Amino acid sequence: MSLTIGLPSKGRLREAALARFTQAGLVVAEAADARAYRAAVKGEPDVEVRFLSAGEIARELASGAIDLGVTGEDLIRENIADWERRVAVAARLGFGHADVVVAVPAVWYDVRTMADLEDVAADFRARHGRRLRIATKYWRLTQEFFSRQHGIQVYRIVESLGATEGAPASGQADVIVDITTTGSTLRANHLRVLADGVILRSQACLVAAIGEREPADQALLERLAARFR
Amino acid sequence: MASLAPELAAELRAFLAARDTVVAEIAVIQPADPFLDMAGESLRGRIFLTENESGQTLCLRPEFTIPVCRDHVAAGVAAPARYAYLGEVFRQRREGGSEFFQAGIEDLGDGDLAGADARSLADALALVRTIAPAARWTVTLGDQAVFEAVVRALGLPAGWRRRLARAFGVPGQIEALLVELGRERRSGFDLPGPAAAALAAGDEAALAAAVAARMEALGFTAASGRSAAEIAARLIEQATLDRARLSPGEIALLRRFLAIRAPLRDAVAALGDFAASLNSGMAPVIAAFAARAERLADLGVDLGAITYDAAFGRPLDYYTGLVFEIAAQGLPGPVVGGGRYDRLLTLLGAPAPVPGVGFSVWLDRLERAR
Repeated sequence: MSLTIGLPSKGRLREAALARFTQAGLVVAEAADARAYRAAVKGEPDVEVRFLSAGEIARELASGAIDLGVTGEDLIRENIADWERRVAVAARLGFGHADVVVAVPAVWYDVRTMADLEDVAADFRARHGRRLRIATKYWRLTQEFFSRQHGIQVYRIVESLGATEGAPASGQADVIVDITTTGSTLRANHLRVLADGVILRSQACLVAAIGEREPADQALLERLAARFR
Repeated sequence: MASLAPELAAELRAFLAARDTVVAEIAVIQPADPFLDMAGESLRGRIFLTENESGQTLCLRPEFTIPVCRDHVAAGVAAPARYAYLGEVFRQRREGGSEFFQAGIEDLGDGDLAGADARSLADALALVRTIAPAARWTVTLGDQAVFEAVVRALGLPAGWRRRLARAFGVPGQIEALLVELGRERRSGFDLPGPAAAALAAGDEAALAAAVAARMEALGFTAASGRSAAEIAARLIEQATLDRARLSPGEIALLRRFLAIRAPLRDAVAALGDFAASLNSGMAPVIAAFAARAERLADLGVDLGAITYDAAFGRPLDYYTGLVFEIAAQGLPGPVVGGGRYDRLLTLLGAPAPVPGVGFSVWLDRLERAR
């Protein structure tokens, strides 16, 4: 029997996750070489830790390759189709806070809410010969929020891999859906979050893969997860 | 790979050929943009996408109406044409396979709208009855134009009429808009000083100039996006929309309209009764509705067997009038979906408006009803 836990491999997220594990009584015995991608947990011989990027952790949870993982709720909801059937949020960890938001050029003074944006999107093709363009790397969250929650059907997503906030000024897109922590990057790019434009208030979560396990492994998983509540 | 029983395919081909149609040959691999532009990004998760060497996004044909219309526009056909199709479509579905067959008829360019509407619905009914004579069918009919006429009769400003028209057919969204329209709304914009003064004075040119100055100062070029003039015009329109309200009586009236469900035989009278409670301008729309019903009766369709549902519509901006669905009693999901899409061909690049009406049959469901 054994369980695999995925932890973020880099940066502040890694430090915060390790600190939170220690606080929960799970001391990750890091190898002398900080770049090592595997580690053990003191006193838990049946647990193995793998260090992965936060995006990989979401994917590995979805495929069941790891049992538990620390990653952002945004990545879980964005990267896993039908996420509620495949993973369960065991605990919200209180760090890695960030909001996924809809932001428009600050000069769009008439667009205050999603209802205003719906008006603009509906008329866009007649006025400009093309649909309204949204730059984002959050395809799934954007579609759910626009199409399902706000009934906005007619828009196009422009894939953006980095520097999404520059897309409206460069003419690559009209509005953006992006992640923000303090809002300063958005303000610096003269973008404004719509009054009802917060799609998700995300933070780092301990997430469990849903699936068949040996009873002993399932019990171990539940015992570990309980330490975070 | 999915397959269609050879005898069913033969029956369908014979049916379509006998209905004065030409067969549309539609490629399986299609450019994805027209589908995403017309039906919206929510389609993206349900179709099969790929790319060619030069990076163009392609997809496996998810339906026939859009490619049939595109080909009609590309061929520059001026005369009316009736296209029939029968073939496989590809979609990711929660239930059922992702490859299945559809057949249908698209009737493009016929200016006799009532006649073409009636023929489309009559063809669809005849098709399902020919293939599955033992099944019992329920037919639901809706009309976007009637709803839009009711909203117009209430005297709402154009912006509100457009919002309601877009939400037609989605009960939750219509309800949310009715709640909005019934309550006092706070107006107001967070505008820089000169723009606020121009708005207060109702001076659209000065407002546009103030917005343009801010755009330039912040580094937004309106080369391909919204211009200062567009933003200024919408600020002024929006101030009007914010003030527009419906009285509780008017909202009750709209709800009463949306609750109308009657056999088509009685629907004209029901709409007439309703219109009498408005001081209205609904006469031309009701006359067109009645003309279509008459043409259906002329084609031998039993008007008692069709249900008019005043709230039934499709939230896509190219549907303009008739919508209908045919379902088999005891089976989930519609077997046929149809409707009039007079805005679709210009959206697809036709230089002048071309009326269009058509229907698609889900053949896996039709086979189950057999």
